[in-house]
Amino acid sequence: MPSFDAINYSLRPSKSIQRKIVFGGVRIFQNHLHLERMTYIGFGSIWFTDFTLAHKLLGVNDMISIEGDDIGYQRAVFNAPYATVRVEHGYSNDILPNLYRDPSLAGRPWMVWLDYDYELNESVRDDIRSLIENVPANSIVLITFNGIDRKYGQRPADRPARLKALLGSVVPDGLTPDACKDESMQATLANLSLDFMKSIAADLARPGGFVPAFRIIYKDGAPMVTVGGVLPAKGAARIANDVVNEPNWPGRPTKRVTAPHLTMREAATLQAKLPSAIKLSRSVVQDLGFDLEDEQIEAFETYYREYPAFAQIVM
Amino acid sequence: MATEGTTQKAIANPTKEFFVTMITRDITLEDCILDLIDNSVDGAWRGAGSRPIGLAEEADLSKYSISINISPESFRILDNCGGMTLNDAVKHAFSFGRRSTEEYDDYSIGVYGIGMKRAVFKLGTDIKIRSTAVDDGNRLAFAVPINVATWLANDEPPWDFDIVEDEPLAEDGVEITVNTLNGGAKRSFESPAFVQNLRRTIARDYTLHLNRGLKISLNDEPITGVLIELRQSDEFTPMRDEYEDELDDEKVSVELIVGMAAPPPDNSDPDEQDDGDKRFGWYVACNGRIVLAADKTILSGWGTDGWPLWHRQYSGFLGIVLFTAANATALPLTTTKRSVDTSSEIYRHARPRMREVTRKWIDYTNARKQSLEDAKQREAKAAPVSIYAVNKQTPVKLPVLTPKQTEKVGNIAYAVPLSRLRELGKALGSINMPYREVGIKSFDYTYDQLVGGE
Repeated sequence: MPSFDAINYSLRPSKSIQRKIVFGGVRIFQNHLHLERMTYIGFGSIWFTDFTLAHKLLGVNDMISIEGDDIGYQRAVFNAPYATVRVEHGYSNDILPNLYRDPSLAGRPWMVWLDYDYELNESVRDDIRSLIENVPANSIVLITFNGIDRKYGQRPADRPARLKALLGSVVPDGLTPDACKDESMQATLANLSLDFMKSIAADLARPGGFVPAFRIIYKDGAPMVTVGGVLPAKGAARIANDVVNEPNWPGRPTKRVTAPHLTMREAATLQAKLPSAIKLSRSVVQDLGFDLEDEQIEAFETYYREYPAFAQIVM
Repeated sequence: MATEGTTQKAIANPTKEFFVTMITRDITLEDCILDLIDNSVDGAWRGAGSRPIGLAEEADLSKYSISINISPESFRILDNCGGMTLNDAVKHAFSFGRRSTEEYDDYSIGVYGIGMKRAVFKLGTDIKIRSTAVDDGNRLAFAVPINVATWLANDEPPWDFDIVEDEPLAEDGVEITVNTLNGGAKRSFESPAFVQNLRRTIARDYTLHLNRGLKISLNDEPITGVLIELRQSDEFTPMRDEYEDELDDEKVSVELIVGMAAPPPDNSDPDEQDDGDKRFGWYVACNGRIVLAADKTILSGWGTDGWPLWHRQYSGFLGIVLFTAANATALPLTTTKRSVDTSSEIYRHARPRMREVTRKWIDYTNARKQSLEDAKQREAKAAPVSIYAVNKQTPVKLPVLTPKQTEKVGNIAYAVPLSRLRELGKALGSINMPYREVGIKSFDYTYDQLVGGE
């Protein structure tokens, strides 16, 4: 079943925050790297949420959505939000090589975000490799995949071998089953997939290498991993590195993003207390007339500016 | 044009730049780092009282350590292996190549007198070599800073490097730091895969030293030697054979240890998942340093006359040849120490012995195909033993298999999407299950469901 029938994309607060972190980060890059005439490439599905953000926040015009499902393709064409969105029918493994040869996409930076709803597998790995090897200079590549541990082997002991089969040399020989369990698994996946990207760029001697910029773990239902970075032009690597090494660079939150599901009234009431020099505490929330877990309060406080406002329309 | 009566001479002096470019071209970065480790290992070996290496079961190198730190910004190797003396530095260590009259360290791996210079020039342009050593009872420290650009600027002989006074290191040893890395080195050091692979190579090539207690760390993580094991039982005995050879009056002792490292695969179809293959084949060690590992090529003899090309059917075979000589020039190693010199007489003498024992394994795996179940039962009884525990002077022993009449079989081959194959493998017990096994298990399952038991 295609995922857009299973999930309504817009109702996931952590996903929404993650998107805003990514686009916020790319926006910072726009101030430092030559990202003029950038093309956005992604899986727009039938919702095109990321495409709308790319257009509105980043001013990207030319956008390409890859859609493998037959009916999904028809619906995507129908739902394309802007005249400059082109929908390509096929799987990313097949479509990407065509894009590398497309003269209209040559010599300008791409922002590619392949937001898979399944786990890192051989075809995702092959997409990562081909992107790192082929995207034009100053492109930004992002991958999102399911990070739930059991997708990589039922038993923790199976998982290091599975990762090795997927990512090869970068997986340390001493990777323990413990590092492939529960929340550690998402951290392991994020680190190793970034190492994988870095290694491909280095082995290829890409002039600017690969600068890791995004490492986000978020959870609405299943824990998801988003990793990515910049493939700077020769000479731009230092600038890109400086940008991501700024202490307030947003692309690598240390904690996983787990946003609470709040009613509009709760969100508005909490938001009215922010920003604040003092951390919001549970007792403050209780004084406001309701209650939340500490973790939820912290997440809201960190990301309230990115917190989405959803309205339910009863008809 | 030469005029009558006088002979003009064409200048043939090399330039420094030519030298630096040439010597660094044909060696990989990884091999350069190994060259530096070799120098440290030679120091440790000297300190432990140089002697024939072979397996040198009783040698203890546990007080020696080598630490390597690499990053895209810099390279550093530090050891406590005794250091080089000022006299060494003045006379030998910094000259390009070794004079034939020079003395050598007994049982060392450094042969050509090129390793350190080649390595540092390959790595970068801002180099500092520090050493602290006891010379004639005095502890003396010095440093050799090299700025490559400045050094290259003047080709006038004599070529030399400044030696300056220096603070002593914490322990007697050598520290080499390279600060401005060359493009290639920088790119590689950025790659986590390069770092992991370097770790694996060190673990493999210095396994004999690591097993004797030598400590090597990479980016502050200790490296453990690879455990080389062969299977042994009443029916399976690894071979251990020793003989002496001689080249230009230099004695070389040769030892072969050969046997089954793991049971061969059930079938010999290529299988991209088979990781084990990487372990099997021939290993060649020169004075303890593995210079050829898991070789399945013409270098060790596969595919030469009387010796078939390597085939997956032979998986499980593992052989080591240890060449040991007081003078390393007698050993069959190439300048990069990453291969054997197949033209070496010493090596060529060893080849027939290698072939003979390899043939026995080839014959066994051929016979095995006809009596697979029987063979597998016998193989299962063979337990791994460390190569150090293999008895001396034993020939290889493999079971004699008598073929049994078997039922006619048919092969099934079909392709399914990889993702479904993995899912099924996972449901059948392991996400890493080989494709073939998923096929057999799903056949057995369907057979049980639809046809019923035996």
